[in-house]
Amino acid sequence: MKKLHKNFKFYIIIFLIPCSIGYLIFSLLPMISALYLSFTSWDVIGGTPNFIGAENYQNIFDGDEFYRVMGNTFKFIILYIPGIIISSFLVAILFDTKVKGVTGFRILLFIPVLTSWVAGSIIWKSALNGQYGLINNILGLIGIEGPGWLTDTKWSMVSVVLVSIWKDLGFFSLIIFGGLRGIDKTVYEAAEIDGANSFQTLRRITLPLVSPTLFFVLITTMINSFQLFPQVMVMTGGGPLGSTQVIVERIYTYGFKYFNMGYAAALSMILLIVIVSITIIQLILQKKWVFYE
Amino acid sequence: MNKKLKLKSLSVIAILFLITAVSLVPFLWMISTSLKNSSALMAVPIEWIPKKVSFDSFVKVLKELPFLKSLMNSVAITLGSTILTLVSSSLAAFIFAKFEFKFKNLIFILFLASMMVPIQVTGIPIFIILTKLGLNNSFIGVIAPSIFNVFAIFLLRQYMKNISNEFIEAALIDGANLFQVYLKIIVPMSLVPLTTLFVINFMSYWNDYFWPLIILTDPNKVTLPVLLSKLNTQYATEYNTLMAGSLVSMTPILVVYTFAQKYFIRGIQEGGIK
Amino acid sequence: MKKLTVFILLVFMVFTITACNKDDDGRIQIDFLNFSSNGGQEETLAAMIEAFETENPDIKVNVETLGYDDYFTQLAIRVAGNQAPDVYELNIENFKAYADKGALSEIDTTKIDVSQVHETTLEAFQIGSKQYGLPTKFSNVVLIYNKDLFDEAGIDYPTNDWTWDEELEAAQAIRALGDGIFGVSRPIQTHEFYKTVVQNGGSMMNVDQTEFTLNSVENIEALGMMIDRINETNVTPNAEQLGGMGDWDLFLSGRLGMIVTGIWAFSTFADEADFDWDIVVEPGIKTKATHFFSDAVVVSSKSKQQEAGAKFAAFLSGSEEAALLRADANWDLPVALTDEVVDTYKSITPPLNKQAVFDSLDYLVTPPSLERFNEIADDLKSYLDRAIAKELTAKEALDQAQAFISSKYE
Repeated sequence: MKKLHKNFKFYIIIFLIPCSIGYLIFSLLPMISALYLSFTSWDVIGGTPNFIGAENYQNIFDGDEFYRVMGNTFKFIILYIPGIIISSFLVAILFDTKVKGVTGFRILLFIPVLTSWVAGSIIWKSALNGQYGLINNILGLIGIEGPGWLTDTKWSMVSVVLVSIWKDLGFFSLIIFGGLRGIDKTVYEAAEIDGANSFQTLRRITLPLVSPTLFFVLITTMINSFQLFPQVMVMTGGGPLGSTQVIVERIYTYGFKYFNMGYAAALSMILLIVIVSITIIQLILQKKWVFYE
Repeated sequence: MNKKLKLKSLSVIAILFLITAVSLVPFLWMISTSLKNSSALMAVPIEWIPKKVSFDSFVKVLKELPFLKSLMNSVAITLGSTILTLVSSSLAAFIFAKFEFKFKNLIFILFLASMMVPIQVTGIPIFIILTKLGLNNSFIGVIAPSIFNVFAIFLLRQYMKNISNEFIEAALIDGANLFQVYLKIIVPMSLVPLTTLFVINFMSYWNDYFWPLIILTDPNKVTLPVLLSKLNTQYATEYNTLMAGSLVSMTPILVVYTFAQKYFIRGIQEGGIK
Repeated sequence: MKKLTVFILLVFMVFTITACNKDDDGRIQIDFLNFSSNGGQEETLAAMIEAFETENPDIKVNVETLGYDDYFTQLAIRVAGNQAPDVYELNIENFKAYADKGALSEIDTTKIDVSQVHETTLEAFQIGSKQYGLPTKFSNVVLIYNKDLFDEAGIDYPTNDWTWDEELEAAQAIRALGDGIFGVSRPIQTHEFYKTVVQNGGSMMNVDQTEFTLNSVENIEALGMMIDRINETNVTPNAEQLGGMGDWDLFLSGRLGMIVTGIWAFSTFADEADFDWDIVVEPGIKTKATHFFSDAVVVSSKSKQQEAGAKFAAFLSGSEEAALLRADANWDLPVALTDEVVDTYKSITPPLNKQAVFDSLDYLVTPPSLERFNEIADDLKSYLDRAIAKELTAKEALDQAQAFISSKYE
């Protein structure tokens, strides 16, 4: 589309002022201070930070903890991202069938999204009790002995993933549903006339056409995964045996429990670099699979 | 309707019912918990449906806690934040969608990158800045950070790109200035994504916990999530009261969502998250 | 234009509703932040403040109460942002960090009356010989037992002379009552560890606190005993059996015979337990040892109201009036232990045997006074957890913890 030509410098500046001020004050300035803090030892309560060079970074890379925590985060990503994308996609396809009564489900399925993380996590914590929890009681009714979801290191991260999918399914299925609805339905009719079966239609038409939306979902869920926090904090506190410790949980613990903000800031700078690199990689890779009309 | 279609509809409903049922189980459990008295909470075997339905926890939430006051505070803060986000983001999105200027792409990428820093780190610097501005312990201080919201700018920009320039040019020829164009053309034509964002932001500001907790020290200014968190004490949690409180605090967003969900989906679809 | 006007009006309204915060009269205002009144004692604290304001009509106290989970995060952010409240509450675990870093102002004890304050608690909040906080309440840990379960098992109630052996015997008898019924709960974490090793003649650090002594023979033996309670005799529920429930909840549900926990449990247990219970001094191994906890009010070094703040702190700490209110509300043990306060405290039952609280004062131990204690505690706990999970033996866990912690915190 052609851009407007007249010179609107004055309005451009005026219109951008609110956001730009907000960006400077609430994003850029704090980020720069965090970068500075990462080269200091600052104990939060004791006045000014001490410059110590790259010591925090060195300590992070020298210890085992960082690698374990990243490992946990990747475990989360490997389970969560395919899980949420596939399940949201399926639900979105069902939403898109135009069957009567679907709207009701759309509203109901959104309730977990509306629940606050704290309330949601507390209720799941009680529901996932090994002995007295709701889930294992239900499983017991059909003769399955459920594991100690939150107390067994094999299951703790799986539980965090399941709860995250539960919370996010309503949101992402709606987003993908929006993408599906944007597809021109005559394309399907043409495919049907050509004798394509439903799998072929899905593979050759639906997926490419909805790929921009899927790409958006992928980027968002990836960022969310790295910033995983409240569900871990409330449900497991990082345990058992550190099996659900993730990077933001560590940042919080070092910053506010051990009062070692310099170390926490260094961790968050590393987190920033990781997220930015992964996002850039995704932006490059998207050319191979995302289809723009 | 032929048989095949009927079968299809039935199976769609059946599958959706199953998925929805599973995801609502914890929610039903929340309701059941909120209706229990304290001794039934830990009963063995588990009480699926409380033997004695007790509304004590709801009474406690509504009467003993300064609930109404917090509700009003939450409404004021959430509305203020949401509106501020919508105004500042739509102004910026209009510019990003329709005009060319130096460093446009760089600025946009910098904006996007800011989504990636967790608040646990920027929290203290922001708090210090707000304090220096004299905004702590005021609603303005809680609302202020919502002036910058990348997701909203992003979504609105995608949508506004599709608004035809001809409308804008016609208005300009009629002698309107750009601010009038924004008010008379851009805003009315962007009502759908604005509604979507209204819902999304209302929801997240409503449930926000970190900022109100840090900024507002006056007990009279406490918001609902902060008030409810006090039910979680050091040694014991009154699950029934906590759940009752959560249920009550969810109602406003549920109402907002129910009314807006149609536009909400249209916004996502037409905004074309691409 | 109409819509914009509505927008602006709305935003404006929101701002103005809240922006006005006027001071009513010429009184000195002090802000007081606390956590310990949260969850049931808010009214007691309000009564104390009312009494203080009646006595000092020129001072007004603005209270803010936060839940314990958020308290120290909040406090740190406010102190960092130069917004510390004039007077605030600190527990003994966090006191040293705040005092060492200059966040607290010295309280001149010659100008205020602290004559009634229990000596041990007063000393706990001194650095050098300077007083940086005034204790308000303290607590220790006792053995609380469910009389009904003891009756059901047909065994004798505990006495102050019990050791771990008698405790284990009774616990096994109660455990035998049913599948979901457990004998005793002693959590396994760093706090419990440093106390239990003292009971066995060991310690976490050497006497002058220069070196860790985590893997001494006594410590290994004590940890072994703690873990056997879970993994061998199973008189103590494991994490699976607890299933996310806290041990207080388990006790209150009537399925736990004995619990070793703080006296701050009294008011909750009195309200919620529907069975008979009482207390004795916590059983030891070779000797007796029990926890000492205390909370103090401190005055911020940045406060403009130092004098009024110190006055308020002294009232909460040393006045008989505040102490009586506290004792009457069953809110821990006041530090101003006059005869009347002690009598009032003892008269509130259950538990009947409140004398055990005072008997326990002879056996108090405190954690090593280290600036990074929180972090060390988590590190040590991760090794204790691996021993509980049978990944490591008690000896391996403590050997590794000793090596790791010694090198990390040299």
